[in-house]
Amino acid sequence: MMSGDVFSIPNPSATAFRQELEPNPNPKPNPNAKKKRNLPGTPDPDAEVMALSPKTLMATNRFLCEICNKGFQRDQNLQLHRRGHNLPWKLKQRANKDQIKKKVYICPEKTCVHHDPARALGDLTGIKKHFSRKHGEKKWKCEKCSKKYAVQSDWKAHSKTCGTREYKCDCGTLFSRKDSFITHRAFCDALVEETSRITNVGAANNLSFRNEINGNNLMNNLPNLSHGFTNSVHLPTAFQSGFDSGDSFIGEHQAQRPRLSLWLDTQSNSSHLNSMDQNSNLFLPDMNAFCVQTSSMGNYNNLNLLPPQALKVEPVMMNINKGNTISMTDSLASLYQSSKSNSPPHGPMSATALLQKASQMGSTKSNSTTFFNNTVGVMNSTSPSNSSSTNRSELHQVFGNTQPENPATTNANANANDAMMNFSSSTSTSAMHSLTRDFLGVGGDGAGGGSFYAHELAKFASMSSAMGLSQFDH
Amino acid sequence: MAEKDSNKIHHLLWMLNELSSPYGDCDQKLASYFLQALFCKATDSGHRCYKTLISIAEKSHSFDSIRKLILKFQEVSPWTTFGHVASNGAMLEALEGEPKLHIIDISNTLCTQWPTFLEALATRNDDTPHLKLTIVVTTSIVKSVMKEIAPRMEKFARLMGVPFEFNVMSGLNRLGELTKESLGVKEDEAVAVNCIGALRRVDVEERKGIVQMIKSLRPKVVTIVEEEADFSSLRNDFVDCFEECLRFYTIYFDMLEESFPPTSNEKLMLEKECSRSIVRVLACDDEIDHGGYSERREKGTQWSQRLQESCFSPVSYSEDVVDDVKALLKRYRAGWSLSIPTTDDSGIYLRWKDQPVIWGSVWKP
Repeated sequence: MMSGDVFSIPNPSATAFRQELEPNPNPKPNPNAKKKRNLPGTPDPDAEVMALSPKTLMATNRFLCEICNKGFQRDQNLQLHRRGHNLPWKLKQRANKDQIKKKVYICPEKTCVHHDPARALGDLTGIKKHFSRKHGEKKWKCEKCSKKYAVQSDWKAHSKTCGTREYKCDCGTLFSRKDSFITHRAFCDALVEETSRITNVGAANNLSFRNEINGNNLMNNLPNLSHGFTNSVHLPTAFQSGFDSGDSFIGEHQAQRPRLSLWLDTQSNSSHLNSMDQNSNLFLPDMNAFCVQTSSMGNYNNLNLLPPQALKVEPVMMNINKGNTISMTDSLASLYQSSKSNSPPHGPMSATALLQKASQMGSTKSNSTTFFNNTVGVMNSTSPSNSSSTNRSELHQVFGNTQPENPATTNANANANDAMMNFSSSTSTSAMHSLTRDFLGVGGDGAGGGSFYAHELAKFASMSSAMGLSQFDH
Repeated sequence: MAEKDSNKIHHLLWMLNELSSPYGDCDQKLASYFLQALFCKATDSGHRCYKTLISIAEKSHSFDSIRKLILKFQEVSPWTTFGHVASNGAMLEALEGEPKLHIIDISNTLCTQWPTFLEALATRNDDTPHLKLTIVVTTSIVKSVMKEIAPRMEKFARLMGVPFEFNVMSGLNRLGELTKESLGVKEDEAVAVNCIGALRRVDVEERKGIVQMIKSLRPKVVTIVEEEADFSSLRNDFVDCFEECLRFYTIYFDMLEESFPPTSNEKLMLEKECSRSIVRVLACDDEIDHGGYSERREKGTQWSQRLQESCFSPVSYSEDVVDDVKALLKRYRAGWSLSIPTTDDSGIYLRWKDQPVIWGSVWKP
């Protein structure tokens, strides 16, 4: 290792640091879940804090070959190189993962937010990039727009998109040049309407917002013109981090307000789902934060999407989710909405995960119809007996083999009817509980619901109407 | 005409009239406008003609038409944006780290340089400073338009998240009247003076005074952009002045012709604006009317001399700003280039087909 430039703070002090640290704001609900990324600057309290000097941080080739003096960034690379010299080499194995202590790094710059161990960053490359970006010299310059970058990868990434992005004003005009876009926007009459929602806020709020966005250069460029962009990839990150910086932030920061209000207007208007399609990336994270913030879910009741019959599902579902302030319908509905607005549907998600997400009001990328098929199908399968598999296969027969033909329909009708009858007869909570269990159980099998198709859902819905789902309303 | 041979004049004027037209090609247009000026000169009706032209322009212009004109011009030609980018860049660098900025804008830009400046202020640093912008209106047409511009600037600044104060000074009859006190400069403010296309509007005799007044504001930086032509030192020699005028406006018309689409209304409006300038320069006697309508341009070297006489020292543009200007020029059609004289620090030139047309410079007291 290097000379005394690097020092890691030994355990007793780590304990001391631990006391200072806030409790980890991201508790892992499921220990089997894959490694989650913490929010930048919210380190694991158990981690060891590393304070590297600027010199060490910026050093690129720390490992030197003794023969030819070639420098390498990693010890492994040096070892492989030593083989070429016929020198003895040894590739160190990574020590047992559980025993290795997680390291977090603080920024050596004293005035920096990340100098505080409570705001340390969890990744060495990350802290290096941060240090360059914030406190380093900007050595890389874009040829086209002469924008400067400290980190080469940032510069490369920018150069790829520079000049290719288009800017769209609210009035509908498209621009290929940023400067003409900005000038136009300032003079455009479309500007007038927005300002009615903006309140005067000092620059301080600006600061907190911008500091939170680590290395998201695009946001830094145009804090408020971003909704004009047709290339919307970068915004979700910004939204996330922007919202993450604090609940109090929303509604205070005037720069954020216009965009937020825009999205609110979009959401509350169900006929605008088409535009939501385009802005699907943007919609989701916003919904996330929006739902967390407010309790007014009235917006999501404008559902022209769901067949009316399907809504009858709601009394059942609501009972499952006790203690949830947000009704299942709403969450279902919003899930349906959001997943509809996602153009590429992913494979069917497990019901467990979906349910969990629905209760947390998270966003989902599942195919909504699949979800519905899952839940509805599952419900039916559980009632007669607790051998879900049998029922599932029954339903598989019903749904999987069916052509949209009449004989099958009547068949399905009969089966479904039975299932429904059975279900409605067991109104006790135990049934509900078993429903829950099995619901989850079936879900736990993975994509147990199978791949039901949209037309089957529609069929089921129409069947339900035929039978009259009043059975559910006891 | 210098010979004052009235028969000859008559004859020549008549011929020119036959050949020229404001709707023809460049030469014809130029001929027509210069003819107008010559006619006024011959008949001593320069001032009257000029005033008439101005009032016609005032009536036919609205905020919408002017906005459209200026934005379109900026889109097709870097004639004005060159100055914006250079000046904004220089100001941003000179005012870096200052929490309270006061920029005194004496320009013909109608505030079109400020949106990009505001955006840069908002995004460059973590601490967005407070910006106070005092606009000094230079022409009568602009006065009415400012009423529309002010709220837009304020709204845009709010959108950018820049604490902003916007003042318009339009009570002056002529720029020469401008005084330090009327500008309301405070002690704790970092002052910058931005003069784009404005110094030429100051009556020649009053120019020294203006420069000294600017000095008295103790600005951190002064950015000056002017069109590169000399109608001032030659003003007493009609023929030479005429030739210089013709030279300059030939380049300008050629530039307009190649930048705009052929039937552009905006191009026509700009040409008409030139016609007013030409009349003013060639047919109006300065001594008679100090109406603040001077159009007597000077070359960069001349302005430099004035500034240095008042103890301003030139500041060279930084590499970053030069790169920004180069990047700007790349965004336009071919024909534009940037030249940086190696002899001294006083400014850079925008060239159209290798002719210097715009001069930009930075000064500090």
